[in-house]
Amino acid sequence: MKPSAFCLTSDPAVRAFFGSALTGFRLEFYPSAGAFLKTSPKSGLAVIDSALPDMSGRDLVSVLRGEKRTAGLLLVLTGPGQYSPAAAALCFENGADEYFPFPPDARLFRARLVNLLERSGARPRRAGRPEEYRFGALKISPEARTAHVGTRRLKLTALEFDLLLYFLKNQGRVVSRTVLLEQVWRQGEEAGPRAVDKRIEALRAGLGRTFGAKIRTVFGLGYIFKL
Amino acid sequence: MPRPKVLVIDDEPDYLRIAARIAAKVGCAVLTAPTAIEGVELAQKVLPSLILLDVGLPDISGFEAARRLRRLPALAAVPIIFFTVRSELDMVSEGLKLGAAGYVLKPFDPDELLRRIKAAVFPA
Repeated sequence: MKPSAFCLTSDPAVRAFFGSALTGFRLEFYPSAGAFLKTSPKSGLAVIDSALPDMSGRDLVSVLRGEKRTAGLLLVLTGPGQYSPAAAALCFENGADEYFPFPPDARLFRARLVNLLERSGARPRRAGRPEEYRFGALKISPEARTAHVGTRRLKLTALEFDLLLYFLKNQGRVVSRTVLLEQVWRQGEEAGPRAVDKRIEALRAGLGRTFGAKIRTVFGLGYIFKL
Repeated sequence: MPRPKVLVIDDEPDYLRIAARIAAKVGCAVLTAPTAIEGVELAQKVLPSLILLDVGLPDISGFEAARRLRRLPALAAVPIIFFTVRSELDMVSEGLKLGAAGYVLKPFDPDELLRRIKAAVFPA
């Protein structure tokens, strides 16, 4: 039986690439996230162009991964532009099974997708957050609730650790103080915008100079975490 | 030439400010409303080129607001971009079924929102 793939793209050049690199596959094309979601996909291989007209590929992957009924989908993202380790890491952290800067080498692209399809039958699907985040010397284990820079274990309060996780999951996005209060704060903690600023300062200090500086203040708006 | 108008409807002042700043950066005039009802009324007056619409609004949902906008002939075709924390598959599907030009999850990447506003207001 022919392998098959759902290809999500509105870009004729990307479509042509999928068509030529995946010769022998049965391909179904969808020009948008909306068109794909209308089919109520549950399993199969979906190759997603990051620059869809209605949704970013990264957001779509995160939505599909967050849902039990779409856990059987294999998700492959292709992104425009230069390869950046941070961009690739973000895609995997959002739940992508593969990531390729566009245009990938056609032979490599095909071989990795074939392997992914072959392996997927035997591989249990994971869901939720990764077991560990690593950025150079910084290592964060959500399950163990530990963070290290090199071998040094960081002393973070529970709230500071939750803040760090929230920033990691939302890298490159501006997060306002209000959102942090809604999404991260626990009952009983001192609340309010000033309390957020104080905790961010404490988190920066806890992370040390190199990684603390990655949490940048966006004047009048909030914070952005960029590695 | 008058600047295209972008209407931002969101009850969260921080997001109103962020979205307004990004739309202004693209060269748009920005109007804001903190509730869906006020937003729909304002849209009828100013006939914006684009509406950025939160989903979890205090009076009626952003989806219901979009349905009301779509029933108004002058606004039936105005592009709507939902921007929301609601990342459940059913919510995303419903938003896109309503014919949204975009569905952006909060917190968002400012560059991503900028690209989407640009594409909606100045289509190639």
